[in-house]
Parts: sequence; structure tokens; C-alpha cells
Amino acid sequence: MDLTLTPELTEFRDEVRTWFDEHLVGEFAEIAGQGFSWDDSFWDTRIAWDKELAADNWLCIGWPKEYGGRAASVDEQLIFQLEYARSNAPYRGSVQGQDLLGPTLLAYGSDEIKQRFLPRIIAVDEFWGQGFSEPGAGSDLAGLRTKAVREGDEWVIDGQKVWTSAGARADWLYVLCRTDPDAPRHRGISMLLIPVDQPGVDIRPIRNMLGGAEFCEVFFTGARTAVDMVVGDVNAGWGVAMGALGTERGTTLLAEHLRIAGEVRQMIGEARSTGASKRAVMRADLAQAWADAKVMEWNGLRLMSAIKGLGPDPDVHASISKVFASESHRRMGEAAMRAEGARSELVGEEYGLDRLQQIFMSSRAETIYGGTSQIQLNVLAERTLGLPREPRRD
Amino acid sequence: MQHSELEEILDGVRRFVRQEVVPLEGQIDEDDEIPTAIIEQAKAMGLYGFAIPEEYGGLGLSTYEEAQLVFELGWTTPSFRSLFGTNNGIAGHTLLEGGTEAQKKTYLPKLASGEWVASFGLTEPDAGSDPATMTTKAVRDGDDWIIDGAKRYITNSPVADVVMVFARTSPDKPPAEGVSVFMVPTSSPGLSIGPKDKKMGQAGAWSADVVLEGVRVPHSAMIGEQEGAGYVTAMRSLAHGRVHIAALCVGMAQRLVEETLQFALERKAGDTYIADFQLIQALMADSQTDTMAARALVLDVAQKFDAGTDTKMGPAAAKYFASEAVGRVADRAVQVHGGAGYMRGVAVERFYRDARLFRIYEGTSQIQQLVIARQMIRSAGNTGGR
Repeated sequence: MDLTLTPELTEFRDEVRTWFDEHLVGEFAEIAGQGFSWDDSFWDTRIAWDKELAADNWLCIGWPKEYGGRAASVDEQLIFQLEYARSNAPYRGSVQGQDLLGPTLLAYGSDEIKQRFLPRIIAVDEFWGQGFSEPGAGSDLAGLRTKAVREGDEWVIDGQKVWTSAGARADWLYVLCRTDPDAPRHRGISMLLIPVDQPGVDIRPIRNMLGGAEFCEVFFTGARTAVDMVVGDVNAGWGVAMGALGTERGTTLLAEHLRIAGEVRQMIGEARSTGASKRAVMRADLAQAWADAKVMEWNGLRLMSAIKGLGPDPDVHASISKVFASESHRRMGEAAMRAEGARSELVGEEYGLDRLQQIFMSSRAETIYGGTSQIQLNVLAERTLGLPREPRRD
Repeated sequence: MQHSELEEILDGVRRFVRQEVVPLEGQIDEDDEIPTAIIEQAKAMGLYGFAIPEEYGGLGLSTYEEAQLVFELGWTTPSFRSLFGTNNGIAGHTLLEGGTEAQKKTYLPKLASGEWVASFGLTEPDAGSDPATMTTKAVRDGDDWIIDGAKRYITNSPVADVVMVFARTSPDKPPAEGVSVFMVPTSSPGLSIGPKDKKMGQAGAWSADVVLEGVRVPHSAMIGEQEGAGYVTAMRSLAHGRVHIAALCVGMAQRLVEETLQFALERKAGDTYIADFQLIQALMADSQTDTMAARALVLDVAQKFDAGTDTKMGPAAAKYFASEAVGRVADRAVQVHGGAGYMRGVAVERFYRDARLFRIYEGTSQIQQLVIARQMIRSAGNTGGR
């Protein structure tokens, strides 16, 4: 993609850069680069940082102005992400609503839903959790069994969700429910918005490999939500969940890739300080990690081009990018541990992990969530390349 | 040892591990402690001295026989093996390889019975897999030696009765000639044990720093009572220890393959058991192949180690391959389990964290690569290749 900036874009970049210089100070500067989707350390300060961004309209800048956005162009959004990464600002705490649910509501939500929820998401007033996977429906999401039955003006929801991202801090959940048990698997599903603060919703944290509880299991026992709290049409939830690949998803991916470049710089620093960089094999590992991070960055930029209609199908591109990034990030995690040497085995109080240990452990989940590498490759082979389908025994 | 006798021991250990220890794995991981009843049973079964000769009170297994026993131990949490790993392994072998007959007769029975726990004190804050940079020193004072220094990540030191402390006795000489080893009681004035290390995995296996400040021991505490023999003794103990750890990795890999298979046979995606998906089968097959290759290599290396025909390259290659292989097998086990494999309380998640350490202790993978390559180059030189 052409990265030559027009005078207008240069001016925009300078405005963003100046804003970060002036605002990423004090307690925010002290937690530069901290946090991630699975890491809720420094939570309160990070939420304060999100509100700092919100106060000057620097969240969800691509959203229409009526919901608090700036209606920014794709180029402007790209520039903003690059500047965000350059500033090494903390990872935002309110990503679920802003980057994942928000674009879906913009594309499929009723006017009432958009007006009710989007301004509070962008103002960092309400937090969201995602309720998709179930104990019996992970990568095979269409097999989900949580059901919602209409009763007067309400939906009554019964079932169980698991690996519910950000569940522990959520005020609301966006949940895939089966609303027509007789329809074919993909056609009887709806996306419901369900308030957490009610007796029928029980959220229990589950500890993951890192020892944290970013994921939860959620039990719905006669939980209720208003009948109009459906995103898109009733029984059309599958298409809503798969959604069009929004610009935000593209910029989110790019932001994560840029963040990985920062991790590689940290690994190199660590290898120098432990003396591991004196070994040729370690140097080769570091060079490989750096090269992989570069490829991720370029993939992210290409994806932005694709979203602007200047490249291949963004969905295919996102799938390619996901497999490459998750598999290479996992290799990077191994190299990060080797860079630390024996110290990599030690943890802090309460299973506290340093950044490089976090890469090792968190990256292990990346080839699983959002569709395993095996599923991604199967889909690419069968649908994109038209190769024969896997034979079924039945 | 008679074949039938070995089979009987292996059967007993297999039953004990699978019926008594496996059900407690989750608890051991949570509590970071192995229940006393398990420790006492391990002592009664002779597990503290299986690799110590019968004449010194052990079971007297050869390395080949020991490997088969350790395959069984590896089926459960590695912290179980760690209880008596140092007595049989690196610490016990320091006495066995380097001790005088009198030292062996006096002390090995205490290790073999579990009356004493012994630790191996080689690693230092700035000298891990490479003892050339070791700084702990021992200075002669009359009939005694005064030891000063610090040792790091010393397995079992929080419960040890004695530590085999490696120290420079001739600072001017290279390590191969200037290092001696002393058996130091942990009750010695000046010896202190740091707080237990908090580790990423292997909860229940305890390690800590050992600090020595002016610790006075008699000359009779020097293993072999011969100055400068420490380095060779350490290398011999480590070579044996590498075969031992390689066998442990095979045991864990076998367990992980079983966990993977059972999960794939029970878990459905849509209407299909995931074991019927070919990409899942590929993951399972790669793990099975890795495990079979590691097992065959360990048994071959153990036989040559017993015969004395390969005591360097083989142990390094077996430890390198088996520890990397179990890392790959654990990785695939998590992948096949999907989200469940990433959550605490699931066996493969725990093993994934446990397995990482195997690539570090008894010499990192990077050190094993160097050992292997140096042996290759040396042997080429012997036949005029260089």
C-alpha cells in the first residue's frame, strides 16, 4: 500500500503525535506498553487512559459522528494505529465493546440499539463480554445449544457458555443463542444482548495457563432480556457473528502486529543482557523473530489495502494473516524463553509472569481461539483453493 | 537383575503411580506439596535408591533398567520423581562416581533408604550449564576447608540433609583440574537455604538458593578426598543424569499421547469425533512417532552407557532429543484439546508448563548441542579427519 502521506494526512499525523506527546504522561507513561486482552494488570489506570482518549474523541475514530466517532477515513485510522504503536501507550481495557461488538452493531444493529449502546461504549461507560463458545461448541460454533425462548416481551435464556472473554468485568454480554431448534444448524441462531446484573446470569472465572481469569464460564438459568435486544434479524445471528470484516478488525490486527514488533525488541534486549545473544543459534532465533514480526506488519498493511478494496478478499487475507501470526508468535514465545535462560522458569508472587513469559504462554492460545490453525487451513484449502473436502466416515 | 525381578518392580511402580499418585496430581499442583503418605510409600518401595548398587543398600538397577523404571515415573507429575531424583541421580552419583569406598559405605545407604535427602550444588547465579565460570571457592585451613559462595536453583535443597557442593580449590587452574566437591551437611553453621523458588511448572518439586558463608568442613568431607577431581565427577554424574531425564521425558510423552488420544476419541465437533479429522490424526501421529523415537533412543543410549562404549554423546543426544520431543508432544496435546487445553485443572495444561524445564536442567538444549558437536569433531580428529 502507498504510504506516502498527503499534506492533509501529514497534518493529521502531527495532530495525533502531538496529542500522544501531551497526554501520555504521568501515571499513563508509567504503564506504557502494559496490559493486553488476556492481561488485566493496571486495570484502573488503563481504563482511566481509555477515558483520556475518549475525552478528546480518539476512540473508534472511524465511527459516525452521531455516535461519538470522527468518521475518519481508512488512511486516518491506519495512521492513528501506527502512532498509537509508536507511542507505546498502554493496551486499552475497553477493547471488547469498541473493536469487536461496536462494528457489528454499526453494521447490523437497529437504530434503537445503536443509540442505546454505542455512545456508552465509546465513552467507556459500559463494558462488554463475548458469549460464543460452549463446552460442546468451540471451533464448531454452529453446534451451540444455549437456547432463547420468546415469552411475551422478553427472551428467556438457558444454557452455558465458556471461554467468555472479558466476562468478569462485563456489564452486558453479546451472546449467540439457538432461537429455532428445528432449523438447520446455521439458520436457527440469533445474537442477543443480555444484561449481566440479574439472578439468571452466573459468571464464574476460570483460570487459564497464565494463572489469570480473563476467561469465564457463564450459566444462564432463565435469564431474561427484552425482545428487541437482538442484533440483526431473529435467526440470522450466524451471519451477524461472522460479520463483514470491518475496518476496526483490520486496524486491531495491525495494532497487535505492531505490538509484536515491540516484543521482539524486548527479546533482543533480554538476550543481550543475559548474554544469550553471544550464541549463534540464539541470534538466528532473534533474526527469525524479527523477520516474522516484519512480515506480520506488512500483512497488516496489506489487509488495510484489502479493506479499502485495493487487494484480495479481506476475509481470505485475514485468515492467512491469522495462521501466520499465531504460529510464528508461538515460535517467538519459545525463543523468548531461551533468551531468558533458566530464569524463564521462575515466576513472581501470585504466579506473576514477566512480559517474555507472557508471550510464551499467551501465544499458546492463539493457534486455538478464533478458529484453530487446523480449521483455518482446512477452510483455506477447501473454500479458497477448491481442494477436495475431507472424507467423512458417516 | 533377573528379568522377572525387574518386571515385578516395574509392575509395582506402575500400579502405585497410576492408582495412588495420578489421582493426586491436581492437588499437588495446587498445594505445591507432595503428601507425606506418598513420600513414605516411595521410601518403602525403594525408590530413593533404585540407581544405587545393592551393596550400598539400593536396588542396583543398571542404567538400562533404570530407564525403564523412569518411563513409569514419568507418567505422573514430575515432582514425584523429583522427590528421590537427586538421591538416585546427580547427588547420589557424585558419591558413587567420586567417593572413597569408606564414604560410599557410610553415606550411600542413608540416601538409598531415604533417611537422607541429598542435593547437587553445581549451578550458580552466573554459571548455569557451563561450570567454567563458577566462583564458589574452598580454601584450606589446617585439616579443614572453608567454603564461600552461592548456588542457585538447587533441587530438593529446602528439605536436604546434605548438599554436594562444587567449589574451586585451585582458582588458578582450569575447572577440569581446579574444582573439588564436598559433601556439606545443611545444618553446618554458615550454610543457609533461600526461600523456595516459585516456578512456572513442576509444582511440588522444590528448589532454592544455597548460600555458603565461611562454611567449615573437615577434609574428609571432600568427595574422594582428592583435590581437583570435582569436575570429572560432575560431568560423569551429569551424563548419567541426562539419560535419567531423557527417560523421564519419554514417560511424560507417553502420558500426553494417551491423554491426547482419549480426548480425541471422546470429543465431538458436530457429529464427528475429532479423532476422525485427518489434521488431528496428523498431530496424534507426530506425537506418537516422536515418543517412539525418543524411547528407542533412550534405551539404546542406556545400554551403551552401561557397556561404557558411549558415555558422552549418547546421553547428550538422548536428553536433547527427548526433552525437545516432549515439548512438541505437550504442545500438540494442548492444540488437540483446544480451549480446554489452555485452562488450569486440565492435565495437559499442567504438563505443558511442567515440560518446559526439561529443556533447561541437566544442561540446556543449547549445551547438549555443543556437547554432541564437540564429540563429533573430536572423533573426526581421532581418525585423521581434521
